[in-house]
Amino acid sequence: MSPKEAARRRWARVAWAYGLLLAFGVFFVGPFLMGFLASLKTNPLEWPFNLGFAQVSPKNWVAAWRLGREGAGDPWLGGMRPGREVALEVAYFWPEATPPELQAVIPRRRPGAGMGAVFESPYAADYVQLFGPDLLETRPFRLGEAEGYLYRYRLQIAYQGEGPYLERVPLDLEAPRGALLVAATLDPIRFERRGRVASWDNVVPGLLGYTFHNYVRAFRETRSLETGQSLFLRWTLNSFLIAFLKVTTTLVFASMAGYALARLRFPGKEALFLFMLFSMMVPVQVTFISNYLVLRDGIFGLSRLFGVETLLNTYTGLILSGLVGAGAVFIMKQFFESIPKEVEEAALIDGATPFQTLFRVVLPMATPALGAVAILTFQGAWNEFFWPFIVLTTPREIYTLPLGLLAFRNAYGQVGDWGLILAGGFLSMIPILILFAVFQRYFVEGVSVGAVKE
Amino acid sequence: MRLNARTLEGLYALLLLLPFLFTLGVFFLYAFLRAVYFSFTDYDLFSPPQFVGLANYLRLLEDPLFLRALWHTLAYSLVVTVLQTFFALLLATALNQPLRGITAFRTVYYLPSVVSTAAASLLLLWLFQRTGLVNQGLSLLLAYLPHLLALALIFALVQGGQVLWERRRGAPTGFWDPALALISLPLALLGVYALGFLGLVGPREVRVEIPWLPTTATFLGIPYPLWAIILMNTYTTIPTFMVLFLAGLKGIPKTLYEAAALDGATPWTMFRRITVPLLRPVLFLVITLGLIGTLQLFDQVLFVGGSGGAPLEATVTLAYYVYGNVFPSGATPRVGLASAAALFLAGLTLLVVLLQRRLGVSERGWG
Repeated sequence: MSPKEAARRRWARVAWAYGLLLAFGVFFVGPFLMGFLASLKTNPLEWPFNLGFAQVSPKNWVAAWRLGREGAGDPWLGGMRPGREVALEVAYFWPEATPPELQAVIPRRRPGAGMGAVFESPYAADYVQLFGPDLLETRPFRLGEAEGYLYRYRLQIAYQGEGPYLERVPLDLEAPRGALLVAATLDPIRFERRGRVASWDNVVPGLLGYTFHNYVRAFRETRSLETGQSLFLRWTLNSFLIAFLKVTTTLVFASMAGYALARLRFPGKEALFLFMLFSMMVPVQVTFISNYLVLRDGIFGLSRLFGVETLLNTYTGLILSGLVGAGAVFIMKQFFESIPKEVEEAALIDGATPFQTLFRVVLPMATPALGAVAILTFQGAWNEFFWPFIVLTTPREIYTLPLGLLAFRNAYGQVGDWGLILAGGFLSMIPILILFAVFQRYFVEGVSVGAVKE
Repeated sequence: MRLNARTLEGLYALLLLLPFLFTLGVFFLYAFLRAVYFSFTDYDLFSPPQFVGLANYLRLLEDPLFLRALWHTLAYSLVVTVLQTFFALLLATALNQPLRGITAFRTVYYLPSVVSTAAASLLLLWLFQRTGLVNQGLSLLLAYLPHLLALALIFALVQGGQVLWERRRGAPTGFWDPALALISLPLALLGVYALGFLGLVGPREVRVEIPWLPTTATFLGIPYPLWAIILMNTYTTIPTFMVLFLAGLKGIPKTLYEAAALDGATPWTMFRRITVPLLRPVLFLVITLGLIGTLQLFDQVLFVGGSGGAPLEATVTLAYYVYGNVFPSGATPRVGLASAAALFLAGLTLLVVLLQRRLGVSERGWG
């Protein structure tokens, strides 16, 4: 084989390898990407899946921004405030020389189904006035094969007098059969009655309100029945709080236990280690009944210690039952065993107690292991479902994010509001994805630290 | 009084271990023993437990829902473990190359396994709707099947021709020679495009509408909703195990491959004779972790079930069965029965681990 031939083959091999890598990449990220795109759509179950929908058009972004600013002075989330006025232009194709009869109406439409349907928000129809549609322009137009005219209309929506801030102003525009909407300042969110009615859920959406329609809804519609505050935000904060507490307790207690198991001599050490391994293999479903009862009734006055009747539905109970996991202890033990003994012997000669040795000498050296444990614990706590599902049942305000997602799924699955369900799912992924982007090395290596290192 | 050094060290160890011993003692040991005790009693979470002997275990074997849950758990566990181990190994081998930017790819591949089961379940629900992406993808695949077949055919012809030509010139060329394939593939694509342009192959009208979730229909004895969960979970766990395999692959000395290459071993022989035997500890770990994890399937059952989702009989697993008996809707809790089922699950898990050790897949991975 000539050197030239060999080089050619090497290049071809590299090209194949990258091609394969790329294909796998598409495979692993594709569904998430498609799901994310679908979560922006009005109908995520559209067949066929269309990539050129209204929410991804820059023209609509600009219009949504402008309308939001004109309606409420808020270009991001939009809305309508008293004394403001917005204008919307639409263009219809109509084959005849007389202009089509357009009927515009601001419907009294509820903002959503499921949890959102419970709340009484003010109807825009009660406060704003609609002027028009006024014909602006007529000109001959060709649409494909058909000859006809293009009619441009202007709609004016004014909020006169006093009144509350309106989150949204819906609009329905009905045209006779045969008239086609060819352009609009802001594309309608859907067509109803075989395309005759163009429908906007909000003509003053703001940029986020238009493109991330479902995400804004997730925050606005999922509210507490009692206080009216956004549940979704609460769930996210709860998840953060619990994960933070869990990481803290785990880091401290796992390094303590791991150090004792790795370095100190005491009777029953081997047995304890084996027992620990055994505990890692037994499914939660075996122990949760007793743990539930321990939290409910207490054991040896455990819950009395905290001055409450029961530890169910409290974070104290949740944290107490998961102070430190056997897996974290295992990782720390493995790591401490890999540190040279001489370091601690020096500390010992200087008269340090094991506590001092651990916290002053060994732990500062253990940052990689602590990082891995922190990340793995955070990920575990953030994603944990079964045990919080048992412990935290009422009220909805104390849920963690995964439990909230189940409430979401149950509230909106029945009405098939997949946009909202997907939006909730993706919102819950954001923190963990950010964390992953920053600490991905620890994520990827953390798994192997605990498992393969000997 | 002065304590001797031995006792002092023991006391320190006890102090350091105290929080861990508390968690392990109260929330594992005590709980485990109580589960054993409950499994021999009739208990409803409120009135005191009544001893009933082995009755719960016998009742389990007569409960059709339990048998179904058992079958689902076993089938799910087996299928997912096999699939994820196989594909993770395949991917790791493909990725274990000195290519530039490989870490970026590894990171991207790892992404799906970072996501919570709850969020993944929501995505699963959407993907497997009747007009969801999975059905659309299948439709697309079937619609363009003629194109794909034509592509494969033209590729084989062109590649075969090239290989024959090279061989006649005296070069030892295999059928999958990458350099030649790089020429054949664009030619094949061009050929298919030309055929389509001439109208010889055209897309067909296909609309696959498999009702994946609201059904009890089965395929190979496994209900469709469970298949949906299988596909989704395999997809999210492959990357985790791939990372484990990659760590293992790094530990295999390169010299072994070089020596084998000198002896004229094919990549396949190297894979079978070097990679797999030396990866045994990791393989053991991956299979064990996979089995333990899959035996506890619960979250997805809850998410996929419920309104507008899969019926319970199609997705119930042992873990769900246990939960469902402790907190049944509109009935008294059957804690004894649930405990017996839970112990059955634990026994199954331990059996799997022991069996693996017996079968001689080395245990070194456990450290």
